Amino acid sequence: MQTSDLLNSYVVDPNTWDEMYAHSDVRQQYQHVVEFLQQMNIEELNKKEEMAKKMFMSQGITFTVYNSGEGIEKIFPFDIIPRIITASEWTYIESGIRQRLKALNLFLKDVYNSQFILKDGVVPTEMVYSCPHFLREMHGFQVPHDIYVHVAGIDLIRDQDGTFYILEDNLRTPSGVSYMLENREITKRIFPDLIPRNNVRTVTEYPDILHRNLVSLSPRQTANPTIVLLTPGIYNSAYFEHTTLARLMGVELVEGRDLVIDNHRVYMKTTSGLQRVDVIYRRVDDEFLDPLVFRPDSMLGVAGIISAYRKGNVAIVNAPGNGVADDKAIYAYVPAMIRYYLNEEPILKNVPTYQLGNREEQEYVFSNMNRMVVKKTNESGGYGMLMGHTASDEEIQRYQAEILKDPRQYIAQPIISLSSAPCYMNGRMQPRRIDLRPYALCGPDGIQIVPGGLTRVALREGSLVVNSSQGGGSKDTWVLAS
Amino acid sequence: MLSRVADSLYWMSRYMERTDGILRMLRINYASSQDDIQDFSWKPALRIFSYIAEKDAGTVAQNSREVLQYMVTDRENANSVLSIVTRARENARSVQDHITKELWQCLNEFYHIIRDGQVARGLHADDPISILDVLIRQGLLYYGTTDVTMARGEGYAFINIGKFLERGVQSADILDIKFSDLQYDFTLMDTNYWKYLLLSISGYELYLKTYRTGFEARNVVELIVLNEDFPRSVIYSVNQLYRYFERLKSDRNKEAYLKIEFMIGRIRSRVKYSTVESILEHGLHSYLKGLKQDLYEVGNAFNLHYFAYT
Repeated sequence: MQTSDLLNSYVVDPNTWDEMYAHSDVRQQYQHVVEFLQQMNIEELNKKEEMAKKMFMSQGITFTVYNSGEGIEKIFPFDIIPRIITASEWTYIESGIRQRLKALNLFLKDVYNSQFILKDGVVPTEMVYSCPHFLREMHGFQVPHDIYVHVAGIDLIRDQDGTFYILEDNLRTPSGVSYMLENREITKRIFPDLIPRNNVRTVTEYPDILHRNLVSLSPRQTANPTIVLLTPGIYNSAYFEHTTLARLMGVELVEGRDLVIDNHRVYMKTTSGLQRVDVIYRRVDDEFLDPLVFRPDSMLGVAGIISAYRKGNVAIVNAPGNGVADDKAIYAYVPAMIRYYLNEEPILKNVPTYQLGNREEQEYVFSNMNRMVVKKTNESGGYGMLMGHTASDEEIQRYQAEILKDPRQYIAQPIISLSSAPCYMNGRMQPRRIDLRPYALCGPDGIQIVPGGLTRVALREGSLVVNSSQGGGSKDTWVLAS
Repeated sequence: MLSRVADSLYWMSRYMERTDGILRMLRINYASSQDDIQDFSWKPALRIFSYIAEKDAGTVAQNSREVLQYMVTDRENANSVLSIVTRARENARSVQDHITKELWQCLNEFYHIIRDGQVARGLHADDPISILDVLIRQGLLYYGTTDVTMARGEGYAFINIGKFLERGVQSADILDIKFSDLQYDFTLMDTNYWKYLLLSISGYELYLKTYRTGFEARNVVELIVLNEDFPRSVIYSVNQLYRYFERLKSDRNKEAYLKIEFMIGRIRSRVKYSTVESILEHGLHSYLKGLKQDLYEVGNAFNLHYFAYT
């Protein structure tokens, strides 16, 4: 069987935007890739797929699932066919994200200081104070360069007409960037010459930019500040990412137990005594960061780190307390923030969001449950979510009862039919739903977005949930130069 | 360097050295079990490399294939090659930013190979030597990758400290247990016994070139303890341990450095200025026991002064 047959079996849902096909024509950006794939037969493609899997395994790009005492190495499923974004689409996405991050940063500064936006009634005060991620510890503290969000992974999706929407702003410890880097390395190996021929922009500068930004945050005026990446340890599912980033930046990978605080300064324990730490890129969540301030039972953090931070003796990236800006209920107010702080119209759209704490919106949502997705505001990773179009009446009733217990905890959004992209599965090309998470880095010199990102794929046919914890996979993501 | 990182590198290296020791011992023991089945016993090998109880050793030790499975792929046995490689990899995994990517991949591959069902199946039903050879070669790949790719910094020093401390203990241990099996009777002239012992630590050829008088127990002791050219001898291991430890010298942490320098220096002199005669006069068992004890104490001093154990 030839690949042309594979393509013939590719059936696009007419109510879905497909990244490769417009009606039955291949979009221009995909033409080279389709021609290339047409020269291959199933055996070759299967071999490529197998090769990709082997490379992930042997490089240890895996996470360990602990079942019955014994660790099993799993790989994050990878689809060999790249997702392609055109230059003009990228320019648009980039400007939209830049605008949004600027506003979110200003919001964080405002909400932890003067709170003009609350006083002017643009964002309801109770919405902020009822958010569990709003940290009183951050109030009145001036963060270096006024930057709260140093690393953001903003999730974008496309509706059936191809319009981009912002789905989520991940401003705390967004993960997945190592897959942006590794997926590209794998594509280089399995499809030699394909990347240069397509004029794909490189993503390799990501660790360099991040490192430069981290250096610039050092509270000490020293040529060679000590920068560390704080990881929860080898049992964390993103541990591979932490080691990759530490390696690529040449910084020390530390765990909480490697650090001690003395006189409001952070030190790491080394073979030649204590060494002062200047900047911490932490991949430990707020609540585990400091047992003296947050969860007292946390073993992952460092006792006293927040007071060292507040004294200005160490920089923490991302700033604690960012969760108040990417809360799913606050999300609805981001367009208003953009208008309020920047006096601009939002470039990228929000998905319409209904607050279940609001009586009228709640009524509307309850009477349209089968067209809605309901989410918990403080959950992520696709947990605690109800997809109205597939849920049974009984499930909906049970979920509604849950909502009524604490409506502030929930929001609802109309179900967006995510765009689809070709995936190579079981010897056939099949459309699967995808999203896009580009990574933005904010430093004193401004916001930089590496041209690329993580494309997550809902591997199950028809599924709209791309989260890796719900059986999602990923693709290499190409941004074309022209 | 972070104390935790130094600790992990040191243990990664100790475990890999142990892996190599076990695999070579198993390979040669298996070969000799095919040769002279009446006198052969796995007991000494089991005593050197596992904590198996004396009575269990008796039953397991009869069956070569069972021993191989127990020592290579048994998940329950904390001293099986599988368990040890898993621990070496866990250590490597937590210091991936301090070892080269090649080294990490090499260890990671070793881990995947040994967990693959083929190894267990081969040991059960196929030619065990081919299987052990594959594993030994993977270990050699580890040594080579370390040598060719690792920067000559502090991390490399800790890797070598772990390696040679482990090797020194191992060689003393092998000698002690092999002789205790003979009740330290130096008059016994069993050529095969010494031949297989020397083969298992890659010292056979050097022995033949050094001694022209056939196999004698005292020559075996001399080779394994005192020969400075033999890479698995106690003196060679201690010299290398000293050499790599010296690289840790710095003005910071000086007190700890001097303390351990004294300890290793004393072991080194004691071995260097021993002769076979003085060792035998002292009593081989108590000499080796004292040596092992001193090496263990060096290990404990590292825990305390360099790895921030509390």
